[in-house]
Amino acid sequence: MSTASSVPARTARRRLDEMSQHPWLFVLPAFSVYVIFLVSPALQSVGISFTDWNGVSPDAVFVGLDNYAHIFQDPVAMLALRNNGIWSVVTISVPIALGLSLAVLLNGSSRLMPLLRTIFYMPAVLPLVAVGAIWGWLYDPSRGSVNEILRSLGLGALAQPWLGQDSTALAAVIVAAVWVHTGFPMLIYLAALQGIPLELYESARVDGANRWQQFWHITMPGLRSAHAIVLALSIIDSFKVFDLIFAMTNGGPGNTTQVLGTWMFVNVFQYFNVGYGTAVAVIITIAALAFGIPYVLAQLRSEKR
Amino acid sequence: MKIKRMFAAVSAVMVASAALSGCTGNAAGNADGSLTLYTYEEAGAAALLEQQLENFTEETGIEVDVNNVPGTGAAVYPGKLRTALAGGKGPDVWRIWGGSLGQPFASDGLALDLKDYWDEYQWDELFPQSAKDAMSVDGATYGIPVVSNRIVAWYSKSAFEEAGIAEEPSTYEELVAANEKLVAAGIVPFGTGGELGWHVMRLFEYLLEKNAGPELHDQLLAGTADWDAPQVVQAFAELKEWSDQGWLPEGVMGLDPSQEEAGFTQGKYAYTIAGGWGDTEYVQRASDPSDYGVFALPTDQDPIRQSGWVEGYMINGASPNKDNAAKLLDWLAQPETLKALGVGNTPVVGAEPDAAQYPLSAEVAEIAATSPFYTIQDQAFPAELSNSYFEVQSQVIQGQLSPEDAAEKLQQLVPAGLQQ
Repeated sequence: MSTASSVPARTARRRLDEMSQHPWLFVLPAFSVYVIFLVSPALQSVGISFTDWNGVSPDAVFVGLDNYAHIFQDPVAMLALRNNGIWSVVTISVPIALGLSLAVLLNGSSRLMPLLRTIFYMPAVLPLVAVGAIWGWLYDPSRGSVNEILRSLGLGALAQPWLGQDSTALAAVIVAAVWVHTGFPMLIYLAALQGIPLELYESARVDGANRWQQFWHITMPGLRSAHAIVLALSIIDSFKVFDLIFAMTNGGPGNTTQVLGTWMFVNVFQYFNVGYGTAVAVIITIAALAFGIPYVLAQLRSEKR
Repeated sequence: MKIKRMFAAVSAVMVASAALSGCTGNAAGNADGSLTLYTYEEAGAAALLEQQLENFTEETGIEVDVNNVPGTGAAVYPGKLRTALAGGKGPDVWRIWGGSLGQPFASDGLALDLKDYWDEYQWDELFPQSAKDAMSVDGATYGIPVVSNRIVAWYSKSAFEEAGIAEEPSTYEELVAANEKLVAAGIVPFGTGGELGWHVMRLFEYLLEKNAGPELHDQLLAGTADWDAPQVVQAFAELKEWSDQGWLPEGVMGLDPSQEEAGFTQGKYAYTIAGGWGDTEYVQRASDPSDYGVFALPTDQDPIRQSGWVEGYMINGASPNKDNAAKLLDWLAQPETLKALGVGNTPVVGAEPDAAQYPLSAEVAEIAATSPFYTIQDQAFPAELSNSYFEVQSQVIQGQLSPEDAAEKLQQLVPAGLQQ
């Protein structure tokens, strides 16, 4: 009996061994979908970025790298690039720091914790356009809650047309972005915290480690893979910024809050400079990859060690 | 390690693909002869249109599917339309503005040259030549002009009364005095929002018309006069004054114009400046339509002109249902249809608004019939130039550019922008 059952088991193992020699067979179905529906149009887009195509005309003239060169001569594109930089730094670092802090604070077993976690995560499930509308109302210069609260506290001098002046518009949108982006890292960190054995903390306490030492030497190393996921996704997400800016300021006042995503949209869909707008899209992608991929690779290497 | 590298490489390709794939075709129509119509009506007008199109379907047997993009203005709708056309699922018929906004659809071969249908349906009897010209490019007519708008002031009589304003302003000095009285009464005079640029632009172009006069204003728009002229500087100085004196809403450059424009019927502002839709979209929806009035913005010039533009319908050159589409255009242009749709601001002969039912629309039609117009600036300029133009206005209002520097900047921007 045991001999009879071991034959199919051996056969199955042999087939598995044979298949493991060809891992691409497993990847092929999903990869084919990506090639047909994502890679191919993406390569087509790169091709368009080397032309002066207007979006509908049957003719498009090959212009080489002109569109890319123009980006660096275009003051609005440069402003958008700078805004992307500011946006990325703030909307990556602040939500991660807040998310981590909240996760550590909410990692207890009190009955209130699930409710608090839900409250803090809720903004993350809202559509960004709805978030834009909500914060647009809050920032309304004459009737918005932000200025109303300031006035009721006797701080009326600090009341501002938050979205209506160059000096505060970008910062005001970034605040909304931080609000909406904090829930995701919090959730990832909460899940990762569950995976850190409590015994490590117990033995650390026995050894006399204080809370900060426990956090720094147990919690932080235990969250390494969570850091990699949160940071990589946050970086890629930050370079794709479009919705909130579009909904709250439409890139204004003037062009003050343009980011590369909105400037690409304006060029492709309002100016009909599809070639140029696509070049901007390529730059966004390259930037996201340039920052995102090395970090992920570094994390993978350190995990390996 | 090798597998991880491979995973990273595949991930990179996937991420790059996802980011780029959104950036990438123009046939239209249905085999059953039904039509798709793109338009940008507000809620009230959209409901009327749907209702009237049912009558069209009953009369002709041609079904019409309406795709409406309300409240977006020229900032979004042309892009949506162009995307649909590029994707190969464009509408058979679309509504569009004249001037620089509609021109790309004509010059790119997207819209049908209507010459044959124009003759077949004898549209010359419906449309005056000036309106036809506004939908023409290089001598060919690509659209029927069913709407002819004029920017006029729509105001709340009770707000004016509360501020002690006895009569509608007929000079700029009287308008300024009215603003001062309104502010003194705690009422914000002019309801506008600068988030998309074009609503504040309406104020600036009025100030420019007032200061430059018709001849110089036309030359400026054509790029044949210097933008650093003292009249332009004065117009910018007055724009700044409107902001500084509280004649505009606080934080105006961050406000959504589609929300603020209606404020004069909501007690937020005393007046706004808008086209003929001011009656159907705002006044007729107010609790007491008789509490509102309309007046032409006083330019102290001869002739008094208003900012204006034409809107109409085009047929997709690739539609397999062109004859049905032309039938729809002809139906939409009939005076009875326009009256049923409540379109008072139309150049169509015989479709003048009923003064008893729509007194303010009749008044606007009278203003339009008795005074010339200049092309609204965001249709006189290419889109890129308009964007720069809005930016300069924003910077003046915020005090980042002096009126002189703003005029100088436009001198650098406009002639070059018009040549592109």
